[in-house]
Amino acid sequence: MFYREVGQFKTSYAADQAIFPIRQDRIGLALILLVAFVAIPLLGGEFLIASVMIPFLILALAAIGLNILIGYTGLISLGTAAFMGVGAYACYKLSTLFPQVNILVWILTSGFIACAVGVVFGLPSLRIKGFYLAIATLAAQFFLQWCFGRVGWLYNYNPSGAIEVPGHSLFGVAVTGPSATPVTRYYVVLCIVVAMTWIASNLVHGRIGRNWMAVRDMDIAAQLMGIRLLPAKLLAFAVSSFYAGVAGALMVFIWLGAAEPEAFNINLSFLLLFMVIIGGLGSLLGSFFGAALIHILPIIVRAAPNALGLSVGSATVEHLTYVITGALIIFFLIVEPHGLARLWQIGKQKLRAWPFPY
Amino acid sequence: MHILYLIFVDPFVQMAGAPDLLVQTLWEGLVGGVLYALIALGFVLIFKASGVFNFAQGIMMVFAALTLVGLYEKGVPAWLALILAIGIMYLLALAVERVVLRPLVNQPDIMLFMATFGLTYLLIGLGEFVFGGNPKEMPVAALGLPKGSLDFKILGGLVSLQKIDIAAAVIASAMVAGLALFFQHTRIGRALRAVADDHQAALSVGISLNQIWVIVWFTAGIVALATGIMWGARSDVSFALQVISLKALPVLILGGFTSVPGAIVGGLIIGIGEKLGEFYWGPLVGGGIESWLAYVLALAFLLFKPEGLFGEKIIERI
Amino acid sequence: MSGGEILLDVEHVSLAFGGVRAINDVSFNIARGEIRAIIGPNGAGKTSMLNVINGFYHPQHGRISFHGKTRARMKPYEAASQGIARTFQNVALFKGMTTLDNILTGRSLKMRRNLFWQMLRHGPALAEEIEHRKFCEEIIDFLEIEHIRKAPVGTLPYGLQKRVELGRALAMEPTLLLLDEPMAGMNLEEKQDMSRFIVDVNQHFGTTIALIEHDIGVVMDLSDRIVVLEYGHKIADGTPDEVKSDQKVIDAYLGVAH
Repeated sequence: MFYREVGQFKTSYAADQAIFPIRQDRIGLALILLVAFVAIPLLGGEFLIASVMIPFLILALAAIGLNILIGYTGLISLGTAAFMGVGAYACYKLSTLFPQVNILVWILTSGFIACAVGVVFGLPSLRIKGFYLAIATLAAQFFLQWCFGRVGWLYNYNPSGAIEVPGHSLFGVAVTGPSATPVTRYYVVLCIVVAMTWIASNLVHGRIGRNWMAVRDMDIAAQLMGIRLLPAKLLAFAVSSFYAGVAGALMVFIWLGAAEPEAFNINLSFLLLFMVIIGGLGSLLGSFFGAALIHILPIIVRAAPNALGLSVGSATVEHLTYVITGALIIFFLIVEPHGLARLWQIGKQKLRAWPFPY
Repeated sequence: MHILYLIFVDPFVQMAGAPDLLVQTLWEGLVGGVLYALIALGFVLIFKASGVFNFAQGIMMVFAALTLVGLYEKGVPAWLALILAIGIMYLLALAVERVVLRPLVNQPDIMLFMATFGLTYLLIGLGEFVFGGNPKEMPVAALGLPKGSLDFKILGGLVSLQKIDIAAAVIASAMVAGLALFFQHTRIGRALRAVADDHQAALSVGISLNQIWVIVWFTAGIVALATGIMWGARSDVSFALQVISLKALPVLILGGFTSVPGAIVGGLIIGIGEKLGEFYWGPLVGGGIESWLAYVLALAFLLFKPEGLFGEKIIERI
Repeated sequence: MSGGEILLDVEHVSLAFGGVRAINDVSFNIARGEIRAIIGPNGAGKTSMLNVINGFYHPQHGRISFHGKTRARMKPYEAASQGIARTFQNVALFKGMTTLDNILTGRSLKMRRNLFWQMLRHGPALAEEIEHRKFCEEIIDFLEIEHIRKAPVGTLPYGLQKRVELGRALAMEPTLLLLDEPMAGMNLEEKQDMSRFIVDVNQHFGTTIALIEHDIGVVMDLSDRIVVLEYGHKIADGTPDEVKSDQKVIDAYLGVAH
């Protein structure tokens, strides 16, 4: 009843080609942005901002990157965490070599460095497909992680082997390091994530996105449409790694403040993959859903025993998180293989017909 | 020039200079390779029969071993623990067929692949929840496996072979031979090969897919248990073995996803290759290259032969 | 229409997979503006011939000239950019995309805006998008598939999928359109519709068409000239009437009494 496009006639192709052609969707988006930009910083506590929202947004950004690769182009990657690591280490090197330069510049530049590394590891994708490619990306995962631990130059020969973020400020306000407030850091992440989501949305709705999906759905037919496979796939790798790289840099600089090579291990790659699959392959909105679910679920599992008045050891909670995550993945795959994004669409469809069943 | 010497000449000089060390390294690699091959074997079985890229195969190995050791530590005799562990692998196969495969049949491959990811997490959580997360020691003696080592004075040095490793190699060979006979000469084996060839056609001649899946997953479970015991005897049993189990993946690339001989040959190549690489070339870059060498080798190999050593040649038809 | 300018010339082409000879020394040509049918029993090498023409297979012997230009090895995307479009025997649509997106993909080669503008999706990129949308809408009108414009093609019935596939090929504004069994598995009514579209495409857009089809009645009605292949050899070439009375063709289709 409230969600119905009756009476919204489109008089131009421009209106029909818009990314949100339905007015209610545009209002909804505006509301979400309003909550994100105004309500959360004003009303949210430090825990919500620093431990829920910032990691959620960063993980969602990485998930978008992975979704471009898997969901849109059909190239399975198990090495996303390594590309995040490239972004993080690049940003660390650049910002310690040239501390006077604006940190945002370095965060974006490290995205480009991750992009270059991603293209190199994407080269085999022309010859190998599917699961073979998935395994090949493990080479990137393990090799790069090894580099982070063994190449002293990358972590400035820090005896602890970890990278620690120095303080940086932007227009006189501290954005990284211990003196930066959660709200400032939240705004930095939010602006970057919103801008990059907008760009990703533009890409996937245009020619480039269609080419990617064509390669995903039927690569032979795509070639005969005049789409060249290697450039299309490499572009997907490049864009995907750029997103992962920026997310990695943000993860270390804005969220964690310091990181060891282990932070970019294969488990993070797997978690990102879950986010994409549970959220919905080929859906940007789904990447947010998936990141929310996978990130917030453990927080709830950890908080639940206390809320119920039970005392459960932290190790047990850890194990339960694994069990629940695993069970949920299987559950969601069975209930809706196309992910939360599809559930959302079905929900909207029901809302459109409400109060009638169809 | 010096660097070229270090890469291309020096390692071979070292090999020739100390042949006993070389033999020892080869042996270590061989045993590692046998175990990789076993994990890959379980994987190939499942892939052939149900078309599922079973990411959980490595975890099944750890889970099976953990069940065995966990029960033993709780006071169950070793032989009973072994039987119970086999029973649990059967229950796992039943559960996987009922809960995962049956509802997801006919979904795209990636969905089933993801489901096995879910299974991986579930098994890790479950195993640690029930038996605790600390590393456990495999009761080698109680299981009747040999301990100690055989030393040979050859090639001007000492080559030391762990008896457990020899046992591993023997058991692995016996298992592969047994499986090959089973598939070639039994009714179930024939049905299984039929399913591997074409699900629809197999269904239409009255083969029960569900039954075959249970059998295959159970077989893979037993292979996993055997691998877990062998591997557990060489190091402790814990989910840290997961990383080792991932090494089965490059083995699959080398051997092809559907070839049992491929899994074995691939396993041996990867096992020996990474030990040699680590021992002779690793020091050049600071060591630890074992963690990625197998993948890079497999990747390089893929570029030249995308279908693997023994895989079926992919012919694209339009 | 035969006797006009030669658009595509296939000379002594042979193709083998390992020991299997799929095409053996076949020569024929396609004149601009005609509907050229390739017929023959199953396994005669018809689809392989199309695959050779659009660069998917590379023949071991022989030459192919298109637009008077002889080429050596050509990649499929190069064929596409020279104006060869094609539909497939088993529908090869992009199943996860809508009808409209599928057809828009056919415009891919004509869209020029670079990554930067694509990222912004404003100004030139948007204008270009809309311009091509207009073109695609014309094709959608022409093929009478307005009602399924926004439907994911994976959910469409077979007959409509075939039509969308034709639409996608037309969106490329091809000079030469290769149709691989466009009417396979269709009922009579759908065949009539498809025949009408093929004739309309040929006459209104002036597109040259090479057609593989098993329904002899349709082939005889539609085509200007027919090539008959059997076991990779050309056994006949000519107008429908010539081919119909050719003894070799009759033998190939009806069998010979030994």
